[in-house]
Amino acid sequence: MPKTSNTDYDDDGLETLKRYKPRSLDELASRTKFSKKEIQLIYQGFKQECPSGIVNEETFKHIYGQFFPFADTSSYARLVFATFDLRSSGCVTFEDFLICLSTLCRGSIEDRLRWIFTLYDTKKSGKITKDDFHVIVCAVYALLGNVASPCCDLETIREHTTTVFQRFDKSHQGYITMEDFMSFCLNDTNIIQSIDVLRTIV
Amino acid sequence: MASVAAWLPFARAAAIGWVPLAKHPLPPPPFRIPTDGTSSSTGGDRRCDEKIIINVSGRRFECWRSTLEKYPDSLLGSNEKEFFYDEDTREYFFDRDPDVFRIILNFYRTGKLHYPKHECIAAYDEELAFFGILPDIIGDCCYEDYRDRKRENNERLIDDRLHEDDDKAQPKPQSVRETMWRAFENPQVSTMASVFYYVTGFFIAVSVCANVLDTVSCGTDPDTGYSRTCGERFSRQFFCLDTACVMIFTVEYFLRLYAAPDRLKFIRSVMSVIDVVAIMPYYIGLFMHQKGEVSGAFVTLRVFRVFRIFKFSRHSQGLRVLGYTLKSCASELGFLLFSLTMAIIIFATVMYYAEKSVVHTKFTSIPAAFWYTIVTMTTLGYGDIVPKTWAGKIVGGVCSLSGVLVIALPVPVIVSNFSRIYHQSQRADKMKAQRKARLSRIRLARNATSNAFIAAKRRHEQYRDDPNSPVDKNLVNPFELQHHHLLRCLELTTDREFVEMGPDALMSSGGTSIVPGGHTSTGIGRLGSPARHFMLNRRKWRCCGFGRKKKNLYKHDTDRANNKNPNINDDEIDEELGDFQRPISSTPRDSLSKNHPVSTTNVIQHQSPPLLLQHNVVLHSNMYESPKSIGNRSEVDVPISQDDNNQLKHQRNNLMTVYEHSSANDFLADDSQILKPPKDVVDIIEEGTNDDKQTV
Repeated sequence: MPKTSNTDYDDDGLETLKRYKPRSLDELASRTKFSKKEIQLIYQGFKQECPSGIVNEETFKHIYGQFFPFADTSSYARLVFATFDLRSSGCVTFEDFLICLSTLCRGSIEDRLRWIFTLYDTKKSGKITKDDFHVIVCAVYALLGNVASPCCDLETIREHTTTVFQRFDKSHQGYITMEDFMSFCLNDTNIIQSIDVLRTIV
Repeated sequence: MASVAAWLPFARAAAIGWVPLAKHPLPPPPFRIPTDGTSSSTGGDRRCDEKIIINVSGRRFECWRSTLEKYPDSLLGSNEKEFFYDEDTREYFFDRDPDVFRIILNFYRTGKLHYPKHECIAAYDEELAFFGILPDIIGDCCYEDYRDRKRENNERLIDDRLHEDDDKAQPKPQSVRETMWRAFENPQVSTMASVFYYVTGFFIAVSVCANVLDTVSCGTDPDTGYSRTCGERFSRQFFCLDTACVMIFTVEYFLRLYAAPDRLKFIRSVMSVIDVVAIMPYYIGLFMHQKGEVSGAFVTLRVFRVFRIFKFSRHSQGLRVLGYTLKSCASELGFLLFSLTMAIIIFATVMYYAEKSVVHTKFTSIPAAFWYTIVTMTTLGYGDIVPKTWAGKIVGGVCSLSGVLVIALPVPVIVSNFSRIYHQSQRADKMKAQRKARLSRIRLARNATSNAFIAAKRRHEQYRDDPNSPVDKNLVNPFELQHHHLLRCLELTTDREFVEMGPDALMSSGGTSIVPGGHTSTGIGRLGSPARHFMLNRRKWRCCGFGRKKKNLYKHDTDRANNKNPNINDDEIDEELGDFQRPISSTPRDSLSKNHPVSTTNVIQHQSPPLLLQHNVVLHSNMYESPKSIGNRSEVDVPISQDDNNQLKHQRNNLMTVYEHSSANDFLADDSQILKPPKDVVDIIEEGTNDDKQTV
């Protein structure tokens, strides 16, 4: 049983930090595709950054901020956070984090594609529209910050969005469903290769 | 693993979200990707990281190497730490404060540098500097505190330095003008100055009393039958008294004007303006005495005589503090005035219109009502003008209540300002007095270490000269051997010898000189007073066959046992001690036995910058005048050239840094080639007792 202490209020009504302790190492190792050692490493880093055991959107933003120094990481971090937040509670526990990471690092290509779809589908409607694409493209460009050349303005982003959307939306429905997305991606070798490229050793 | 690095897999994994959007295919990864999930675990087992152990004064800290490498500019993050690597124990050893190191290591771990409140700011800064960390990255939580402490410390240092400069400046050679100015500013400097101070104070009091008594009624006028004042009855006597006082004040004013280093500034200063205003009425009265019709103005001028009482502020520090407080609280006072004015106008207006209907009302106009309002708001309530209508009474009540409030608000600010400034000035004075005592105690402590060093040096030299002597070989280590050798070289270079000096010679002042040494043997020593000082002693040598003599005073009685020296009579001791007193007090030889407390206090040496205190180096510079009498006593009169002087100073400074880290090194040679007392000498050690008397 995971020990979760919910928000404690002391006499002044001040909120104490939520603390979360994950389940045992063995259980996590069995649920995910990581080895014990890897989970240890990941947890050490996790705990260092989030001593309370729980991640929120701010932390994601901060972490991305460390990797992309000139970026405005808020929008991208929000999107990613939404996919990690399995229970839509606003906080990601270590288990959620590990599970998602396991999918991303060690999962099958279909799982990963499914994750990408979830990333794009901000409204969780099962369909991705052009606006969703626009949102994700903006977020990715925001990661660049102001230091990339040539400069990217709204026009560039819109153009990019249109190009990509048109590539996906062969049937011109105006939206893309999960199946379309998956089939399209699986047939595109570039995409498959590129996804593989981003595997990481822990 | 560094925490950020731990998140990299996450960032990379999440980046697959970009893939469908990518315009180009993504580049291959920098490492070989294992094809299946399980094989990566073996790769994951091997960490590209290692734990390193840091030993700080015995406390061991362990961390990952990558934690330290987060900040490659600092000592721990760069190659610089390799200098501290100990191969035998395979750890990095730092001989520093482990408590502060804990905080520094936490900075590496968490990225936030904190400043602990209980830590001394100077020590903390030093540690930061050692480990190559800029104080600017102190976290926001602690940054304000750090800056405040730092500022306080700097102010205190500046303050101390100012005070030290004050003390130091005294023994400089002075012209008459400078002595006079100093006497005016600090009456306790000399008896003349104190006398002058009290005399002027007395005359100010007399003058003020005369002004007051001038107006007391003193019986009736025989001619007219009206009562007349004492001033009229004894007009001649009062006039004489007034003349005398004004003369004294005038003389004083012109003396001050003459002595002032910056006359324009002096003329513009407040005190001089007060002086002028105090004496001008008399002179104007003199000239106008002939014209009787302007006697009205003449009488008015006499009012200005009361300004003489402000001359007392030179005599009273409390008064000065009060004046300064009022000046510094100008804004509060301004606010008080402004708010009062507003309130007065409002209430006066209302009162006027309220009382307008009353017959024979005293509130004849709004300005007339001002008087009522002021008297009411300050809760004086004279009662000479009171409201009669009920509306007026209500307004009057409100007026008095609001008066209390309005006045009570800014007053505590002024009071607290006054209290703070007053206590500060008290503290400054107290500290000044304590500093001298404290410095002499510090010198006392330093003396012990340097004496120990000299004793060790002597033993070593004995051992060298006489291999059979029972000196323990283990007492000297290679470092000390070389150090002794260096000093020996210096002695031989300059043809002098290091000599321990008695404490009596230098109380709180110091001179240094070096004994011209003809013999290299450590033979001749002398008995002296129990506590010895070490000093490079410049010694006059006798003429007529006595030859050059080295006088060494030994520190302890135990050392005397080792000493093969013949006993020396106390005369020579006195002479030698006298040598030191001589430059200090500039008195002829026969008056040596007298104490010259005043002059010695003038020659307060000290002057070690605070930094040196930390490193336990007593290095003082003392400027004093070279008296002619010294020159008479020496055979060779070699004037030191400016270059030599600078060079010696340079050498001294260099030696200083060498000695910084050695606790036994508390001396320094200076001006060795000169027999004439040098312009600035380096004070080695003096044992100070708290009282400044010298027993010769």
